Amino acid sequence: MPAPLPTASSSAAPVPAPGPSPDAGACRFVHGPIDGAAILAAVAAPAAGGNVLFLGTTRGVTADVTTRSLDYEAHETVAVAMLDGLRAEAAARFGLCGCAIVHRLGRVVVGEASIAIAASAPHRREAFAATEWLLERVKAAVPIWKCEEDGEGRRTWVHPGDLRGIEERR
Amino acid sequence: MSSVPTMADRLPPSAAGSPLAVILFAGMAEIVGARRLEMPWDGGTVADLRRELAAARPALGPLLARSAVCVAGRYAADHVTIAGGVEVALIPPVSGG
Repeated sequence: MPAPLPTASSSAAPVPAPGPSPDAGACRFVHGPIDGAAILAAVAAPAAGGNVLFLGTTRGVTADVTTRSLDYEAHETVAVAMLDGLRAEAAARFGLCGCAIVHRLGRVVVGEASIAIAASAPHRREAFAATEWLLERVKAAVPIWKCEEDGEGRRTWVHPGDLRGIEERR
Repeated sequence: MSSVPTMADRLPPSAAGSPLAVILFAGMAEIVGARRLEMPWDGGTVADLRRELAAARPALGPLLARSAVCVAGRYAADHVTIAGGVEVALIPPVSGG
């Protein structure tokens, strides 16, 4: 089981026990469709007043290039440890009640979700901010890669930018 | 990524040390045609490994120059020493999300 979330900010009222555990979702990879509703439910908490679910989906057209699917792989053990660390950092930084990050691996066709990030907080602003903060960090440094398949069936691994020196920037 | 063979791709043996297993992902596995390389290893740093990999597999060079090296589960700077038997993975620029 993942470590408990750090205590929410001082604005949060004492949280009664009933309701889903904020750790029920946590961070993990799945190899099939992502159930966004279940992930959102997993971050529900009595102290929460803002509950945000972000879903990143495969986009079918970028500029004039057609995408048929994206195929994801990850260094799973390292990635899960990093996701757990980011989740704990977000929980402390934004005073979250609950937080979960789920990434799909394998082929994800147009319209289906490759990532779900859910966050709940006493107020909406922190929940919105936390999901975006987490997404940007996942995209910047967590060892997950996608291979794009275009409309003609050509496959291309996507390796943007420069990861060298990342250990000094984090 | 079904197009990449999973069998280990063994480099020519050298006189020195025991081999170091290097795990490859995504475009790097595609370039090499394997998910795992065994490097002859007589000890050294991440920078040494980068040099030896670039020499042994020139096709990896351009992507390797933009990649991180993960040693025992952590991104490691060039000065970090790689002990025998630890897991080493090459981490090319990421594209999750």
